[in-house]
Amino acid sequence: MNWLTGFLKSSVGRKFVMAFTGLFLCFFLVVHLAGNLMLYVGGEAYNNYAHKLHSNEEFLLIAEVLLFSAFALNIALAVTTTMENLRARKKSYKLVETKRDDRAMPLTSSADYTMMITGMIGLFFLAWHILDFKLEFGWEVLLEGQNSAQKVGIVLTNSTRALIYILGSVAFGIHVSHGLASACQTIGFNHPKYTPTVNIISKIFGWIVAVGFSSFPILAKFYPSLMTF
Amino acid sequence: MSDTDDNLTLTLRVWRQDDSETRGKFADYKISRISPHMSFLEMLDILNEQLIAQGDEPVAFDHDCREGICGTCSLMINGQAHGPDKETTTCQLHMRRFKNGDKIVIEPWRANAFPVVKDLVVDRTALDRIIESGGYVSVNTGQAQDANCLPIPRQDQSSAMDAAACIGCGACVAACKNASAMLFTSAKVSHLAQLPQGDPERPQRVLNMVAQMDAEGFGGCSNTYECEAACPAGVSIEHIARLNREYVKASFCSSATAAEPIQAGE
Repeated sequence: MNWLTGFLKSSVGRKFVMAFTGLFLCFFLVVHLAGNLMLYVGGEAYNNYAHKLHSNEEFLLIAEVLLFSAFALNIALAVTTTMENLRARKKSYKLVETKRDDRAMPLTSSADYTMMITGMIGLFFLAWHILDFKLEFGWEVLLEGQNSAQKVGIVLTNSTRALIYILGSVAFGIHVSHGLASACQTIGFNHPKYTPTVNIISKIFGWIVAVGFSSFPILAKFYPSLMTF
Repeated sequence: MSDTDDNLTLTLRVWRQDDSETRGKFADYKISRISPHMSFLEMLDILNEQLIAQGDEPVAFDHDCREGICGTCSLMINGQAHGPDKETTTCQLHMRRFKNGDKIVIEPWRANAFPVVKDLVVDRTALDRIIESGGYVSVNTGQAQDANCLPIPRQDQSSAMDAAACIGCGACVAACKNASAMLFTSAKVSHLAQLPQGDPERPQRVLNMVAQMDAEGFGGCSNTYECEAACPAGVSIEHIARLNREYVKASFCSSATAAEPIQAGE
């Protein structure tokens, strides 16, 4: 099995695992957003969806294990490779200027340069998100006896939560706008016929994630009637 | 040289370092009567003559063919590898790209895998060892007419040639925020993977070259594509994707395993 450890230790192999977990997590974002959009269909539709999802315990367990593993691997590899990459140039330049025409200045405004930051903001949001909805930590009294759609409305009308959720959604949007196209390149999916489309889809996907997920806390804040079930 | 109004007066901020052990620092030099028709390296030649005349140590910098094909010249000019022009080496960069009174910051390539030898000269033998680990073919390729007898699809031939255009200057490493040598390594892997002559060693080559690249202390690729923009030979990041494919295929579908990396000085 030396070949497998060799693959997993190599820079290219680790990036491959990172890309693969990233693509899986992008797929999860699509499913999650589709589920959330049920809220706009109506409280009942969302409750039915939530009930169906939670009644299948085996499926839920497998999905949660897979998701947790994908997140853990993606994060662990991001941290180790970022540290390695920073170490590869101990003495930095006095001046750095891009030669790419498509890059907005300054450099740090580009999604690919801020993957670590957007990832960390996303992780911070994720921790709150799991505490709020999975564990209902600190919400025991307010969420007692409420259905799934009502719970969403209650949590999101909290100003602190709304802010964290918007921040997290935008961070994830920026993160995947580079992440999706980057993952395709890393798994070797680069082709003159498809790559330009993949790059555009990646940008659009970023917008969908950012706007889609942040729409819930924004509506809950400004049009609370829409999010009251 | 005639002293015309077009001539430039510049302030150069040049990295000076005695050797790899000592700490370096920037030194400012004023230089005047620079013709806009000069190449960047000719401008540095003038600076050195001035320094020698003053009894100072001239600035060490790498150069050889001065026609953009050898890959010897380097230099980070105002934060850009090989200066502001696209697909241009420092030796082919002309002073007309600068304005009178400009301040130009000149730094060596910076990467742990490229230790500074002196001033602006860095040791790029790490790239040589990557080539040594697998960037060759061992089969007898015969004479010119034998090459013509091998039917190779036009697209493959063309793409292999694009990859082979790499001159090994290291601008990709210099421009990458991770000091990654993926574009350099992928150029050779992709060049030989698309040709029948490279086929016998195809899986072994990519495994060895990636192992060597990692052992040299280069960073990993995070797909920011600064390398492609900085490459004076116009090598595309398509080749990095091909390296990724080749690496996964070689790891999972071939019996080859990576050889031990070559040590410096071997």
